Amino acid sequence: MPRHLVLTLLLAFPAAPFAAEPLSARIDQLISAKASNAKFSNLSDNAEFLRRIYLDLAGRIPARDETARFLADASPTKRSKLIDDLLNGPDFPTRMSEQFHVMFMERLGDHADWSAYLLESFKKNKPWNQIAKEILRADGSNPETKGSSFFMSKRLEHYGQQTVDYSALTRDIGRLFLGKDLRCAECHDHLFIEEYKQKDFKGLFAFVQNAFLNDEKTAVVGEKPMPGKVPFMSVFKKIPKETGPGLPGGKELEVVVFKKGEEYAKAPDPKAKSPGQLKFSPLTLLSEQVPSKESPDFARNITNRIWFLLLGRGIVHPLDLHHAGNPPSHPELLALLADEFVAHGYDIKWLITEITRSQTYQRSGKLPEGVAKAEPQLFVTSLEKRLSAEQLIASFQTALNVKADPAAKTKIMKAYANAPREPEDEISPMLKGALFLLNDPLVLGWLAPQPGNVVDQLSKKPEGELADEVYLTVLSRKPTDAERQTVNAYVKKHEAKKAEAVSRLVWALLASTEFGINH
Amino acid sequence: MARSPLCTPRDHLLSRRQWLGATALAGASALAVNPLTIAAEAKKKGKQVLFVWLDGGLSQLESWDPKPNTPFGGPFRAIPTSVPGIHISELLPNSAKQMHHLALVRSLCTQDNSHSAGVERIQRGDPKNRGVTYPYFGSAVAKLLGSGDSGLPPYIHVKPLSGGFMPKDAGFLGPKFGALALGDGKAPDNLLRPETMTAEEDNERNELRNLVDQRYAENRRTNTMEATRYVFNMAAQLQKRRDLFDISTYSPKDVERYGKHEIGRHMLIARRMLEAGVTFVKVSSFGWDTHGDNFNGQGSLVPQFDQAFAAMISDLHERGMLEHTLVIAMSEFGRTPRINGHLGRDHWPEAWSLAMGGTGIKKGAVVGKTNDKGTFVATDEHDIGHLFHTWFRALGIDPKKTEYDNEGQPLPIAHEGCKPLTEALA
Repeated sequence: MPRHLVLTLLLAFPAAPFAAEPLSARIDQLISAKASNAKFSNLSDNAEFLRRIYLDLAGRIPARDETARFLADASPTKRSKLIDDLLNGPDFPTRMSEQFHVMFMERLGDHADWSAYLLESFKKNKPWNQIAKEILRADGSNPETKGSSFFMSKRLEHYGQQTVDYSALTRDIGRLFLGKDLRCAECHDHLFIEEYKQKDFKGLFAFVQNAFLNDEKTAVVGEKPMPGKVPFMSVFKKIPKETGPGLPGGKELEVVVFKKGEEYAKAPDPKAKSPGQLKFSPLTLLSEQVPSKESPDFARNITNRIWFLLLGRGIVHPLDLHHAGNPPSHPELLALLADEFVAHGYDIKWLITEITRSQTYQRSGKLPEGVAKAEPQLFVTSLEKRLSAEQLIASFQTALNVKADPAAKTKIMKAYANAPREPEDEISPMLKGALFLLNDPLVLGWLAPQPGNVVDQLSKKPEGELADEVYLTVLSRKPTDAERQTVNAYVKKHEAKKAEAVSRLVWALLASTEFGINH
Repeated sequence: MARSPLCTPRDHLLSRRQWLGATALAGASALAVNPLTIAAEAKKKGKQVLFVWLDGGLSQLESWDPKPNTPFGGPFRAIPTSVPGIHISELLPNSAKQMHHLALVRSLCTQDNSHSAGVERIQRGDPKNRGVTYPYFGSAVAKLLGSGDSGLPPYIHVKPLSGGFMPKDAGFLGPKFGALALGDGKAPDNLLRPETMTAEEDNERNELRNLVDQRYAENRRTNTMEATRYVFNMAAQLQKRRDLFDISTYSPKDVERYGKHEIGRHMLIARRMLEAGVTFVKVSSFGWDTHGDNFNGQGSLVPQFDQAFAAMISDLHERGMLEHTLVIAMSEFGRTPRINGHLGRDHWPEAWSLAMGGTGIKKGAVVGKTNDKGTFVATDEHDIGHLFHTWFRALGIDPKKTEYDNEGQPLPIAHEGCKPLTEALA
C-alpha cells in the first residue's frame, strides 16, 4: 500500500481505521505511518527470508535441500506456508524453550525439569499467562508443572557466606515479567525515572522476601509465614514507611497474619521434603497478580520481548526500561499488539504468526539505494539479531551434517554464551568466540576432509557446481558471480589439495559475520 | 566473582549496540580534549601502569602502617627501610629495601565497607553520580593513553581463576576498552594455531573470511562486521605474541626470585607484558579477606606479595622502566584495628594505606598518618578521588583539562571535588 494512502486513511478514520484487517497488515500500516520520509528497504529476497525464518522459528539454518526446495518453489504463498509449517514443526517448541530459557534464566544455570517444563509448555502452546503463573507460583508439589519453579529456586540459592540475593530476585521479576528494572529504587525513589518508586521495589520484594529454597535438587521452593508489612526508608529522607505486597504502580495488598501455629493450610513435612502450604501465600498472590489483565505491564512486556526476538529491537528499548521517559518508538503499535495478544488468549504462536507475516518482518537487511544510515527504531530496514549459542550449535550441525555430543555443546556454549546475569540482547562479537573458531579442534575436526563428510562431498563437486553447493550448504543462498569466481580461483590454486582448500573455504563462511548472526 | 553493585543499572550503561554504532568514529569518540596530543605525548614517554590489586583487603597494620606494641598492633614488629624514618611491617623485608623507589599513602579514608560496593567504587574512582557507569582505572588509562605500538591490547589483567575478555570494566567507554583477563595467568583458550596448519594456510583462510565479511557489509550497516573484525584482529595480535605466554621460556632464576606461588608467577607474567609494551597491566591476588585468623592469613600472604612486588620494583628500576611506569599496590579497603573473636580483622575503610611508585611519583614520600593506635587518620583524609587525580597527574594527564565525551555528555575523568596529593608527586 502506498504510504500516502495509509496516511490518508489514518487521517480519515482516526478512531477505528483497520478493524477488520489482520494484525500483520496493521503492523505494517503503523510502521509506515511513523516512518514519514524515511526510505524503506525492499522486501527480503527468498533466501534472506528463508534463513531468517528458520533461525527464528526452528532455531537453526535451513539444510541445503530445504533451501534448494524453497528457492525453486514458485508458489506465491510459499512464505506464509513455510511460517505455518515451521510453527507446527518439530523444532519450534525446542527453539522457543531454549530462547525463553536464555531470556529468563540469563545463564544462571540449567535444570532438566525446567527444560522439560518449557519444552512441554511450548509443545502444547500453553498461553503465556499460564506459563508465567506457573513460573511465579514456583510450586514443586505439582508433578505437571514441577520444573517451573527453577526460575525462582535458582535465584534463592546462596553461595558460601553470601546470603540469598532477594534484591536480585525482585529485580529480575520486575525486569523480565513487567519490563521494569527497579534496581535503583531499592534504597530510594529512582533519581532519574520519575515513576520508579522505592515503594514499587519494596512492594515487589514483599512477595518474595519469605520464599526459600527447600530442596536444591528438585528445585522445590517454600515460604515462611509473612510477619507483616515490609518496613523501608529512603537513604536520603530517613522517614520510616512500610508496604504490603503490590505490583509497581499498582494496589497494595493486605497482609493477612495468622496466629503462630495456624499459618499453614498444609503443614511442612521435613521428612517428605515438603515445605507445606501457607494460608496466606505471597507467591500465590504474585502468580495471580502479575499475569492478569489488570496488570498492563505484563502483556506489554512480553509482546515487546517477542517483537524484539523477531525484529532485533524492542518497541520499548532497552527491554526492561518501560517508563514515561523512555517511550515506545511506536506507542499505538505496542498497545495494539498487547491488546490483541490478550484478546487472543496470550497465544504466543498466534502473535509470532502475525508478526512474521508482516512486511516489516520480511524486509531486507540491505539498505535502500542511496541510504547510508537507517534509524533502527523506525524498522525500515531489517535489523541484525544475535544468534544464541543454542542456535549456533544447531546451525553448525545443520551446515556440516554432524551431531554435537554433550562435550561439544558445552564447548560451544562456553565460547558464545554471556556471563551469568548479562542479558544476551545485543550482538557482541567476542574474542573467545573468534579464538574458538580459529583454533579449537572441534569445528576444525568437523571440517577436516574425511570420507563421506560435508567437505569431502563438496570437494567432489565439479567446478561448475562447487561454489553454489558451498554457499547453499553454509550460507543458505546462492553465491554472486564474484563469489563464484573467488571460490573457483581458490580451489584452482590448490588443485593438488582440493579437499583442504574446500575445508578452508567452508571455514571462512562459517566464521563470517554473515553466518554468525541472524540477518 | 559475581558482584551485583546496588546502583549500576542498565540505563546507566552505554549499551554495546551504541558502541557498535560508534565504532566508525572510534578513536575520536569519548574524549573531548585533544586525545591525539595525549596519545602522542604518552607514546613519546611510553607511559605504562602496573596495578596490583589485593582483593579482599590488605591489612595496613601488617604492611605499610604497622603499630607495634599498641592494643591493636598485632604480633608483628616494624622494621626500618631504605628510607630513613620510614618503618613498615617485618612481613615486607624485601619491599623495605625498595622503599627509596616508593611512596606511601597512610591517610586513605574511603566510604564503602562491603566488597561488592568497595571494589567497584575504588577502581572506578568514585566519580560524582551522573547516571553513568565509570570505567575502571585500567579502562580509563587504556582510553586515555591508547595501546601504544605494542600491537597488544592496552589493558591486560593477570588474575586467578577464569579469564576472557571483560568488557564490563570499561563502563560507558564501551567494551573495546575492557580488560583482557589471563585466567590463572594463562593465555586465553584456543590461542594457539593447530600444529597441522601452516601460517600461510591460516592467512589464506582469514583473507577469505575477511572477503566474505566485506561483501556481506557492502550494502548493509557495517557495525557488526567491524566489531567482528576487531576481535579477530585482536586474536591475530595475541597469536603473534604467544611467546609472552610460554612460561617455559622464563628464566629459572626469575621464577625463583619472584616466587613459585601464584602472585609470584602472575607478577612475572605481568613484567613480561610490561616489557612487551602493554599500557596497563593489572595483577590480582585473591584471598585477602582475613575475617578469621588474620595473623596467619596476612602473615603468609604478605610475604608472598613482598617477594614478588620487590622483585618487580627492582627489575623495573634496573631496566629503566620505572622512569615511565606508574606502579600502584592496593585493595578496596584496609582491615579493622580491632581484632575480632576469631582473631581476624574485618573491613576498615576509615584509615588505611597503599604503596605506589615510578613515573611522576616522589621517591620515599609518605603522605598522611594515622593516630597512635592506627584507628583513624590523624592528618587530612584522602578518598579515592584524590588518588585518581594524583595518578593521572603522574601519567602526565591533567584531569582539569581532560574530559570524556560520552556521546555529547562531557564527563570529568576524576572526581572534581578532589585534587592531587602534591606531596606525593615528583
